[in-house]
Amino acid sequence: MSRLSEHIHEKRIVICCGAGGVGKTTTSAALAVAAAQDGRRVLVLTIDPSKRLAEALGVSANTPDPVRVRADREAEAGIHSPGTLSAWMLDPKLVSDTTVRRLVKDPAKVRDLMANPIYQQVTQMIAGMQEYTAMEALHGFVERGDYDLVILDTPPARNALNFLDAPRRLGEFMDGRIFQMLLPDREGGGAFGGTTRRMAGKVLAGVFGDEFYADMQVFFAAFGSIFAQLNGNAQKMRLRLQRDDVVFLLVTSPVRTALDDALYFEDRIRELELPLGGLILNRSRHLAEERPMPDSSLLPARPTELHRSALRHLVVLAERERQHETEHRELLSTLAQNVPKDIEVLTVPEVPGGIDDLRGLGELARWLLDERHAHRSAELG
Amino acid sequence: MMLPTILDRRIVLVSGKGGVGRTTVSAALARAAAAAGKRVLVTEIEEPAIQSQSTLARMFGRETLPVRPALVAPGIHGCMLATERGTEQFLGDVFRVQALARLALRNAALRRLLHAGPSFHEMGVFYQLLHLVRLETPDGRPRFDFIVVDMPATGHTLALTGLPEILLRLVRRGPIAAALREGQGWLNNPRTGCAVVVTIPEPLPVTEALELVEGLQATQMHICGLVVNKVPVDPFSDEERGALAELLPAGPLYGKEELERMERAAHSLQRLRASTRIPVLAVPLFAVDGSAAAEALTAFLKAEEGL
Repeated sequence: MSRLSEHIHEKRIVICCGAGGVGKTTTSAALAVAAAQDGRRVLVLTIDPSKRLAEALGVSANTPDPVRVRADREAEAGIHSPGTLSAWMLDPKLVSDTTVRRLVKDPAKVRDLMANPIYQQVTQMIAGMQEYTAMEALHGFVERGDYDLVILDTPPARNALNFLDAPRRLGEFMDGRIFQMLLPDREGGGAFGGTTRRMAGKVLAGVFGDEFYADMQVFFAAFGSIFAQLNGNAQKMRLRLQRDDVVFLLVTSPVRTALDDALYFEDRIRELELPLGGLILNRSRHLAEERPMPDSSLLPARPTELHRSALRHLVVLAERERQHETEHRELLSTLAQNVPKDIEVLTVPEVPGGIDDLRGLGELARWLLDERHAHRSAELG
Repeated sequence: MMLPTILDRRIVLVSGKGGVGRTTVSAALARAAAAAGKRVLVTEIEEPAIQSQSTLARMFGRETLPVRPALVAPGIHGCMLATERGTEQFLGDVFRVQALARLALRNAALRRLLHAGPSFHEMGVFYQLLHLVRLETPDGRPRFDFIVVDMPATGHTLALTGLPEILLRLVRRGPIAAALREGQGWLNNPRTGCAVVVTIPEPLPVTEALELVEGLQATQMHICGLVVNKVPVDPFSDEERGALAELLPAGPLYGKEELERMERAAHSLQRLRASTRIPVLAVPLFAVDGSAAAEALTAFLKAEEGL
């Protein structure tokens, strides 16, 4: 059995990282299909706002809960899973609202916070919020235990691993002195005397405007009380990710910049002491079988000039095609030389036109689990 | 007519998903603008991780782009859009004393606040971009009259272009609001700002490009053009196509995949043109990469417009 099949069979959390455009979302979804076929209850969670995963799985975006892929759609696509396959696109607003309702017991306080303009806007922001809510969502799904396996598809950016770090950064801020200054005046003045606070208030009101500063005080007073718990969850999750039922997979493609990014992620994952479980190289042509080059044997007995010129053009295309394969082999051997020798590398061939339906995901799942496609990096050099 | 329209703007945001040649387009536009006599600035948004290597910088034979605008090629300046620099600039402009801003930023708590808050990062970048547009030469002309921004992945692009609208709902007065309105004035005015969306002629990237177009338009960006990179050139005339059909064997053969790719490309281009009224420019696949590809693209752009 390949290590990837073992991961799919045993782990509780799989996290896919990689540069944009390497097929990370598709790979995550295919791994989920594979796990469901293996009998597991699996959830694939994406924090990438692209609609692709949802479309391929036939679930719609912006649903409050994960959506289970219908059995008849699976059967239609030739997938027979004893387990269950569900998908969800991370919606920062929903995660925030759910969390607030869970942590704040007093319904009046919940209403106040949700009515605060800052809360409303901040939870709808794309920037940053995905990172903050990803950990909370992951924590929620793993804790609840509705799924045997959660597969997380990280955002397509070099800083994709920031989500591991975001809660800590927010935590530092919430515990920090600046945060204390933002809180409305309380009796006794907390850590700051009235003078410091009034000074700070003046500066902040000057920079942000009075109105916003007032909203901000209300927001921080309400949000601050639930923050400690949120931060605790994130810290727990952060440690949770170092356990041996978690695996990080690197997804890449035979493009130099994507490979550079993969090596960068590999470094980061090791630096953060997270378990790296393998590398998936998508769209690789290095495995393409030798086939004949077009030549004059294709010409009919009495070729016309048109036949000859068509053949000349075809030869040019054929040479380009062969050239691509050579380049991919070269890139792959560069990759193999730069990753540790024992890393499992799975190569996936290019699928003409890409994968955009459940059937395609099923085929990719089968390919990924076939041990003939798994190599040790040392064998690829 | 795509190139002259683009060259007429002050700020051009080049956007598209990873691997489609977005950086090559950014570098080519910068070169074309410099050749047209513009005072050009190429920028990209600094991500701490990217400091080690930048594809855009490599297009100009460097490892990284400088922090302050510096000449990277004849007629082309380059710099990074860095959150911290923008924030410092902003505080300096508010307090009127740059040294005070730097002092404030040395405060660990404030740094953490700026680091942690959602959209503080975008605000810093946004403000630095605004600062660069505002720069003037001693005789009162714009220091840079053509600024190209090589944008990050889709989500982050929309976070930046959508920033003013979202923040202005919260912060209606004060210096931040003023800066946001001024920036909006540059970016959303079709005479001064525009976006160029880059993609490749394959079904899924085209779908995503169309989604990006929708997203950008929802943030009030004007889109000057859709650049489709890596379009395989179809060498066959209609008659040759007929002859080709008689030649192709049923079994495997080198060249068959490229033929299929060509068909997908033709179909993808058709779909793009049918789905939007934005001008679409098909760029052939170049046999080179890196800065050589940017040069080839510059030449192609100019030839295409008969410049």
